[in-house]
Amino acid sequence: MSTRITIDPITRIEGHLRIDLEVEGGHVSKAYSSGTMWRGIELILQGRDPRDAWVFTQRICGVCTTVHAIASVRSVESALGLEIPLNAQLIRNIIISAHSQHDHIVHFYHLSALDWVDVVSALGADPARTAALAAKISDWPGNSVQALTAVKEKLAGFVKAGQLGPFANGYWGHPAMKLAPEVNLLAVAHYLQALDVQRKANQVVAILGSKTPNIQNLAVGGVANAINLDNPATLNMEKLYRVKSLLEEVQAFITQVYLPDVAAVAGFYPDWLKYGAGVTNYLAVPDLPTDARATRFDLPGGIVMAGAKDLERITGWDKGQPFVQRVTEGVARSYYEGAEQRHPWQGETRPSYTGDWKAETEAPAKYSWVKAPRLDGKPVQVGPLAQVLVGFLTGHELTVKYVTAAIDAVKAIHGIQLTPAMLHSTLGRHAARAVRCAMMGELSLKHWGLLAANVGKGDTAIFNPPVFPKGEIMGVGLHEAPRGTLSHWCVIEDGKLKNYQAVVPSTWNAGPRDEKDQAGPYEASLVGNPIADPKLPLEALRTIHSFDPCLACAIHTHDADGQELGQVKVGV
Amino acid sequence: MARISVIGIGNVLEGDDALGPTVVRLFEAAYAVPDDVAIIDGGTPGLDLTAYMAELEALIVVDAMKLKGGAPGELKVLDKAGILNRGPIVALSPHEPGLRESILHAEFQEVAPPVVRLIGVVAGSIDFGCRLTAPVRAALPAAVEQVRAELTALGVPVTPRRPPLTADLWWEKPQHA
Repeated sequence: MSTRITIDPITRIEGHLRIDLEVEGGHVSKAYSSGTMWRGIELILQGRDPRDAWVFTQRICGVCTTVHAIASVRSVESALGLEIPLNAQLIRNIIISAHSQHDHIVHFYHLSALDWVDVVSALGADPARTAALAAKISDWPGNSVQALTAVKEKLAGFVKAGQLGPFANGYWGHPAMKLAPEVNLLAVAHYLQALDVQRKANQVVAILGSKTPNIQNLAVGGVANAINLDNPATLNMEKLYRVKSLLEEVQAFITQVYLPDVAAVAGFYPDWLKYGAGVTNYLAVPDLPTDARATRFDLPGGIVMAGAKDLERITGWDKGQPFVQRVTEGVARSYYEGAEQRHPWQGETRPSYTGDWKAETEAPAKYSWVKAPRLDGKPVQVGPLAQVLVGFLTGHELTVKYVTAAIDAVKAIHGIQLTPAMLHSTLGRHAARAVRCAMMGELSLKHWGLLAANVGKGDTAIFNPPVFPKGEIMGVGLHEAPRGTLSHWCVIEDGKLKNYQAVVPSTWNAGPRDEKDQAGPYEASLVGNPIADPKLPLEALRTIHSFDPCLACAIHTHDADGQELGQVKVGV
Repeated sequence: MARISVIGIGNVLEGDDALGPTVVRLFEAAYAVPDDVAIIDGGTPGLDLTAYMAELEALIVVDAMKLKGGAPGELKVLDKAGILNRGPIVALSPHEPGLRESILHAEFQEVAPPVVRLIGVVAGSIDFGCRLTAPVRAALPAAVEQVRAELTALGVPVTPRRPPLTADLWWEKPQHA
């Protein structure tokens, strides 16, 4: 007899993610992932000027604005074969890497740490013992007895006032929570400090992008940041140094707090280095080019199929890369017309809604608004884990350095020896994200140095004007975004957009089954997860959160009725 | 550094969800305010909203609203207590933390603005496409005037621009121009 569980936070009008589970004998036997918002950016972009596309695409998703802007300008530049100036490449790279750091920090501390951290338990912690424990991990100044006492008092004040503020509705006291009170207190302290640090990473994006959340400095052909080191109205010495000092502050937090925290949590939950592997095919594209022509990259790209047996390198962004022809999207189980896999250049969005899926019932034939992307017909996982595996397997120096640092940190704290193979897991995805974040911290400063050096040589070029030919051209814009490989595919005819498809990371990961009944990565990763209490399926949230879900379809309507969101329905 | 911010939130590609960005852009075209008042088209920032409210004296949010029994186009103003009247959510994705969760985070950090006002307009349809439904469009002038009234109540001098500027509602431009 199996128990069905529906985790459905969709009462916020349309949108977002729903997970359906079948649990047998305390473990997940079947899982389904569905997104409830359909996407059809091409319906809005058809007929428009390709130079305007990025302004629209950055509104697809309010959390990933920057990445959709970057992928879009790259897509049109790819169609035109248009090279951009080195300064433009580097300014984009600094924005990309700062945005990634912001995103990874927010994800770990504010969107997923509470799956592992019991806030209420922190009230029983001794700040002095917490500080002593923290001193073993790093010499971060925010780990002082005074700082930790203040956090504990603040938390106690909230509880005394009869509320837990942002921490209400957590799974406090759940049997799957394993951290000692001192570790919980340390985590709450870092949760608060991370709120400050992520703002600093975002300030870098705001300084270079003119604004956040929607940056304004991009252009097909380069960037719009006029460079004059002595002019207050342009990108000048003062702004460049402000960027540098912000990046340094963020990097200190990543290496002294974020990476050690992930190592500390991982050692307390060794079981979660076994659960959650799911689909072990991985895709990452190269990013952070170091030359104007984008022939050399600081982040390697590649494809790993079936664990680590085969590795195929992706060496660039050109349309001649073999994998570009092998990407398809299927809609057999999605609410669209058609049944066959289609290449994104031939992609279409013809909704065919076949009705609601009632909670706690068997999956209908079509059950998601998300399409099912495939590479060589197979499901593929994207994200920091894919990036780190590709780097590790190719001996990429920076990747190896931080993977080793993470493994050493776990050993130092817990005396447990991890292996790289354990990365194929729920906690492996968190560890890989922390590793990637540390890499991004180092690379953002490297690219800052490259930019300063190039500008110092007297190069102030930022823009090469695009010229659109008569006839039809096609492009693909690739970007290794915080949640993984993002690709924007455009078809341009006589200077107007004819088709436009965004294949986003969460589509790769959250997509449904396909015509061959192959489960997507979320679905596959949940199978085998323990579920101690079907009414509080914390374990399922752990695995899903480890992917950093973000369905590209944000709306932001305020629910004045304040209905109980995030409900879980359980049936037998 | 801004003392007061007016932030319109919502997705301009999603029908009536564009209400917030539309209202702040219309307000900015019609009225001038002092430099310490920021007018922001915030898009759909999720938890990042916390960063936009930190250390302000007052925050005015304009947003499409879901309200049981409310008619599309109906205007409703909530204060901080009204926004916080229910518990926060268990979020699956970074979009789900909304205004309520952002304020709670800011309060926990002790940087929340003492005054928060939400100008909400009940949405008709939130679906893919760059257009407002008729009742929500009809509510725009009242919402813009409500922004003015809220700022005036906070003691901010609000000056009509003569002539008014044209609001940059770029997403409403036709596709086959």
